[in-house]
Amino acid sequence: MWKSVVYKEWLKIRWFLIGYTLLGILGIGYLFLTVKHGFAFSGGKNIWNSVLFMGHQFFSPLKYVPLVGGLTIAIAQYFPETVNKRIKLTFHLPMGENKILLMMHTFGAVSLLLSFLIFFGLFAVFSLIFFPVQMVTDSVISIFPWFLAGFSAYFLVALIVLEPAWKFRLFYSLVGGFFLTIYFTSAVTSAYGSANTGLFLVTAFLSIALLFSAHRFRKGEM
Amino acid sequence: MEKISRFLLVFIAILTLAIILPKLYWMAFEKPVRKPFILYSCINDDFMIHRISEKTWEDTKGNQFTREEYEKKLPLMFEKQLITSGSWPDSIIGMALDMRTISKAKSFFRLKASEIDAPFPELYPLFESQSGRTKIDLPDDFFRITWRIDFIEAATNKVLEEKSQLFSAALYQNGFSFPAKKISGLATPRKSIDEGYLIIDSKDQLFHLKMIKGFPYVKEIDVPDGLKFRHISCVDFKNKDFYAYLFSDKNEIYILTQDDYKLIKWPVDGFDASNCDLKIFGDLFNYTVIIEAEDHIKAIALSPDYQVVNTYTENWKLKEDQTEGKIFASLFPAQLSMTSDNSKFIRFYFTPSKGLNWIFLNLLLMAFHFIWLYRRKVKFKNHVPDLGIVAVSGIFGFIAIHFFQNKFFG
Repeated sequence: MWKSVVYKEWLKIRWFLIGYTLLGILGIGYLFLTVKHGFAFSGGKNIWNSVLFMGHQFFSPLKYVPLVGGLTIAIAQYFPETVNKRIKLTFHLPMGENKILLMMHTFGAVSLLLSFLIFFGLFAVFSLIFFPVQMVTDSVISIFPWFLAGFSAYFLVALIVLEPAWKFRLFYSLVGGFFLTIYFTSAVTSAYGSANTGLFLVTAFLSIALLFSAHRFRKGEM
Repeated sequence: MEKISRFLLVFIAILTLAIILPKLYWMAFEKPVRKPFILYSCINDDFMIHRISEKTWEDTKGNQFTREEYEKKLPLMFEKQLITSGSWPDSIIGMALDMRTISKAKSFFRLKASEIDAPFPELYPLFESQSGRTKIDLPDDFFRITWRIDFIEAATNKVLEEKSQLFSAALYQNGFSFPAKKISGLATPRKSIDEGYLIIDSKDQLFHLKMIKGFPYVKEIDVPDGLKFRHISCVDFKNKDFYAYLFSDKNEIYILTQDDYKLIKWPVDGFDASNCDLKIFGDLFNYTVIIEAEDHIKAIALSPDYQVVNTYTENWKLKEDQTEGKIFASLFPAQLSMTSDNSKFIRFYFTPSKGLNWIFLNLLLMAFHFIWLYRRKVKFKNHVPDLGIVAVSGIFGFIAIHFFQNKFFG
């Protein structure tokens, strides 16, 4: 059964996931092309100096890339389920409703995680070519909440899309929209060091959020 | 599982609302505190106070002055203006002074609490201190101090082994205990002269490191037993009297004199590095130390040999003691923020409201929710946790439980 569910989810998101991942890889390639260009034209020491002491965040073009991924995968995966209330068919499968939902959700989250791991890995490898490990660590601390925001966006969109009542969709969107801003507070490099554990926990809390709206959906809340 | 997911969503909503609602409230109602600009006048041995928003100039006794009179009382601060307007005196407290002497003695230093509680870089450029050039060049490599000192060439991102070994050996031979706890210096080529870095090692010993003609200069500085520095700010003043201001973990302010490495404690009380901003204006006759806290400003005038000659304090109401703050404390039980004026770190800054006035609104909202439940003829025992959430988190919880409604028992 789980293989069929995974296959169904894969069919829904595959082109979005592949397209997003490819675009993300191209984006990271472009980011480091600009770094390389900076090294060639301004000199490595000036680039390091601007990163270390002048607040230049070479990784800032990545800021909303994970968020876009989370939104894209969530919409691709859950929006088709709301057309003609197709999710009802899923609930009629001979399997626990929550279990099947969590299976779908885990597949989406793991797909997103794989995509993010590719980005994260590429970012770390390319960064280590140009910068020492201390500067790369500081950069990773700064971009980590952006990736958490990608997961949060995925979880929140699932919650909102599966919610049956428009009024509550609006309420969830309000809370969700403001909540996502905490990952994007403007700050100096590595300022998020003390907050990342807490942000990881609240992101993990959101991972089962869709069970709430799915429950309301099953009950036919209006 | 659905119930757990709802409680987690309510928690997320409370967290979000505790950040957003207080922020919106203060954006709408906060009144700025106009801090006065205070300087010590060597002419009338008193502090001169410029209230910028009121456009008044006065001394601590309340005597009012015109702007021109005020500037004449502070000739070493406004010397260019006085010369331009032809009001420059022949002598100041009996001394005829030339502009060069005045300019050399002048200094300004500013430190914010958020500059101390902040992430610091782990790599620094070590400049050549005696290059023989008038302009300081940014070196091609940067150093870090871990189990030894490494110099890494920026263009190649490779460790310069020979230089790293040379400087590591010099530090080691001078008793440096790796790694470094704090590295402080002026990491910019825009300075009059390079004096390298003051470094605190893992045993809280203080060292001076610089590079002279490509070779290491290391000096261990005598620090009294038990004295630990929380922050060091190196300075580049024209008079070259001292290398740096040093701030101990007991909020004492020290200076480190140039060349003879004497640590001199300034008789300055009332500074708290965790929540105060500091300004120090130096001139030929005095240092004016300004400590700006959330609810007061303290000015201390020091003589050139660092003795207190006068102090002045002015208080104002804290934000929470003003009408807007009292209303805030009646509406919100607490405030959460991701940022703080006293830090550059992003954290979950939790500030409980002063007093317990928020309990009344919490009880009112509980009652409102109780009536709301009563009208829906639901079993109260299924909603006790929600009532508890409103009791504790007030308006945040009330909105959260109505956005994410408990309909599991309907």
